[in-house]
Amino acid sequence: MKNNNPLSPHIQIYRWNISSLVSISHRITGIINIVALTVICFWIASLLLGENSYEFTKIFLNSILGKLIILGLTWSFSFQILSEIRHLIMDLGYGFELKVTKITGLIVIIGSFVMTVLIYLI
Amino acid sequence: MNKATKKWLFMKASSVVLIPLMAWFILNLVSVFDKDYVDIIGFFSNQTSKILVSLLLVIAYFFSALSISEIFEDYIQDEKIKNVANKVLNIFAIITPLITIIIIFNLNT
Repeated sequence: MKNNNPLSPHIQIYRWNISSLVSISHRITGIINIVALTVICFWIASLLLGENSYEFTKIFLNSILGKLIILGLTWSFSFQILSEIRHLIMDLGYGFELKVTKITGLIVIIGSFVMTVLIYLI
Repeated sequence: MNKATKKWLFMKASSVVLIPLMAWFILNLVSVFDKDYVDIIGFFSNQTSKILVSLLLVIAYFFSALSISEIFEDYIQDEKIKNVANKVLNIFAIITPLITIIIIFNLNT
């Protein structure tokens, strides 16, 4: 069955600004996070195989690549948390002025990096 | 209340619960991911972790299924393909957390 509803324009059509960057990054990090959670589900399942089988996973997670993946994941989760808070505030009817959307967008971008560092320091 | 409004409300309600759960999870993940097998089993065997990780998985997959179906809505025009994609997505969003929760509740120190 063919639906005649218009599709959303593809991302190449937009002129890049902070709001579109945050919006597209919100979707991308959302997909990254659910893929990561699925990998974490496999990680949890692998625990059933016992301590000896876990050795390879432990070596990988302690490697530079493993640590970089966890660092990236921390940023992705941090971004999603801050961006979701921004969305909820906007849903309450606040922060729609152009200047404010730019400021809150910047807070999300910069804040996600600050939050990543803080999580590692804690 | 129409379907779209209901979907939006479910998305917003789940995101309110998901924000503190994600923060809790990432804080704990960073502190345990490189530890020994026994420490990781210890983390997941803890009653609080079991409940919070289970809650996180259920809500995260529920929220993702709703969000990804919005992306399908935006970019897939053929209703048949969209319905199949949504069905596959929903089955995945139910089975993955369910199996993982069963595993978590069977992990013992």
